[in-house]
Amino acid sequence: MDQRQNFSLDDLLGMLRKKYFPNQKGLLWVLLLIVIGASTLFTSVYTIGVDEVGVIQRFGQFKRVETPGLNFKLPSFIEKLTKVKIKKIYTEEFGFRTSSSRGGSQFSSERQYLDESLMLTGDLNCAVVPWIVQYRIDDPYLFLFKVHEVVKTLRDLSEACVRQVVGDHNINEVINKRREIADEAKVLLQKSLLDAHTGITAVNVELKKTNVPGPVESSFNEVNQATQEKERLIYEAKENYNKAIPSAKGEAQKALLTADGYATERVNRAKGNVAGFVAVWEEYRKAPEITRRRLYLESMRKVVDNVGKKYIIDPEQKGLLPLLNLQPGGTK
Amino acid sequence: MKKVNMGTWILIVAVLIVGSQGFFIADETRQIIVTQFGRAVGKPIQKAGLNFLIPFIQKPNYFPKNLLEWDGDPGQIPTLDKTFIWVDTFARWRITDPLKFFETVNNPLAAHRKLDDIIDPATRNAVTSFSLLELVRNSNRKMDFREIGVNEEENTALQKLISTGRESIVGQILREASPKLAQFGIEIVDVRIKRINYVEEVLQEVYGRMIAERKQIAEKFRSEGKGEAFKIEGDKEKELKRITSEAYRTAEEVKGRADGEATRIYAQAYQRDPEFYSFLSTLKIYEESLNKDSELIMTTNGEFFKYLKKYKE
Repeated sequence: MDQRQNFSLDDLLGMLRKKYFPNQKGLLWVLLLIVIGASTLFTSVYTIGVDEVGVIQRFGQFKRVETPGLNFKLPSFIEKLTKVKIKKIYTEEFGFRTSSSRGGSQFSSERQYLDESLMLTGDLNCAVVPWIVQYRIDDPYLFLFKVHEVVKTLRDLSEACVRQVVGDHNINEVINKRREIADEAKVLLQKSLLDAHTGITAVNVELKKTNVPGPVESSFNEVNQATQEKERLIYEAKENYNKAIPSAKGEAQKALLTADGYATERVNRAKGNVAGFVAVWEEYRKAPEITRRRLYLESMRKVVDNVGKKYIIDPEQKGLLPLLNLQPGGTK
Repeated sequence: MKKVNMGTWILIVAVLIVGSQGFFIADETRQIIVTQFGRAVGKPIQKAGLNFLIPFIQKPNYFPKNLLEWDGDPGQIPTLDKTFIWVDTFARWRITDPLKFFETVNNPLAAHRKLDDIIDPATRNAVTSFSLLELVRNSNRKMDFREIGVNEEENTALQKLISTGRESIVGQILREASPKLAQFGIEIVDVRIKRINYVEEVLQEVYGRMIAERKQIAEKFRSEGKGEAFKIEGDKEKELKRITSEAYRTAEEVKGRADGEATRIYAQAYQRDPEFYSFLSTLKIYEESLNKDSELIMTTNGEFFKYLKKYKE
């Protein structure tokens, strides 16, 4: 496009110079007209991308908002165009910066921006709360014209809102309930942005890893360790309990069962013994004298049979006693 | 021809210069006061668009029309409870009366100084008349102090209540500063506290306190763990003794009952003929207790060997 224009311009110049060589006035006028025409054309036609809108001001006054596509306006000295990306989500970081270079670690940058992230909690402790705010331009008219330095306003409002919400939570809540605090801060920030006519809306507020300040961190970890230690001690004690009790229960059961067995045996034996006695006695009653004698003699047979040494003494004989060696084993 | 040409050129240039001085553009973000030899003429122009004036004699003065930011720096301030803190405030303001502003302040830089002079002291006044808690907190939202190391009564003591809160205190700053700034054609839309932080020395003390508090909780946990373990151990001992003794008791009861039962059974049977029972039992004892190792001395006077002496009585 440009080359073609230049080419034709050179052509025209050469032609004109040949034709009106002594007269330069005509050439100047033609040149002037061409310049004005080209600039008008260039500043009047423009395209707007799919993610943006064009805000048109005529002599500084807001006129209209143009939608994506090819558009026309009056030349630049009459109408001015400002493109605003309304679909884009912008992110602001607080308490840290995601560095584009690989050099700086997240940690050092967190230290660096401690003035942004260090805040007081509702129980007057200190917490380190880094966060991000994602926002979108909602109303290009308000965004461009109503507030000076919108992004700075957003940053200040965001700090004020997050701190206000954190100020109503204690240190434990700040560490454990990030989602809740972020949601509350988002609502507050949205309202503040709306009230301030910034033309932007907070899409998302997200708290990054909230923590206690560096010097206090180890003592907070100590509490976690102590919690673990407590659990461990309790589990160990429970383990011992569980080791001892079921086995003792089994042992007790065994003792009871043994006693039961003893009882059954005792009664059964008694019953058996008694039954034997009763049976013999029944018969004995019928013939006591002879039975008694028989029983006696039967027993004696067994006894005399069994006994190793037997001495029979006639009490009427005297002097027998020295024969008897009363020492056991001496009679071999 | 050439002379006429020169004159035309001069004329064209002159018209262009005069023309360019004869109008100005009022942007959406600006308001303009037209001055003539330094004095304001007519009403301030607050509507955006193309405007005309007399070249060289009148001059446009531009002032911002949109909301402006002011960042305060009141420095260290003691609160009512004598804690030194840094308070970082910001305010948003606009020029509502450009004419007044033009006459009294003239430019935004001077305006910032005026705002410093008025809002900073207002902030100091407000901060010194409230306790730190009132400044930090905005509501009496019930905080969750639940922690195993802290019991219920301590919980309620930790939650101190506030009566005013941050938003009202800030409102107070705004109310104090607003009328003083109205005379400069300035309106403050709002004042907010951006940051409150302890000054360095206080910060170290607070860290010390936080550490002590944590340490105490940690110790509590450890001690609780030990206590709990001892309790479980005691439970174990108690349970063991109970189980063993109960088993012993029941076993003895069962055995005793059985002994009793046996005794009853024996007595019932033997009492029919005690003499016969002792006869029979004695014989059995003889049989069982006299064996090869025993030596038996008997006399012919007895029942058994009497026949050895004589066959008849």
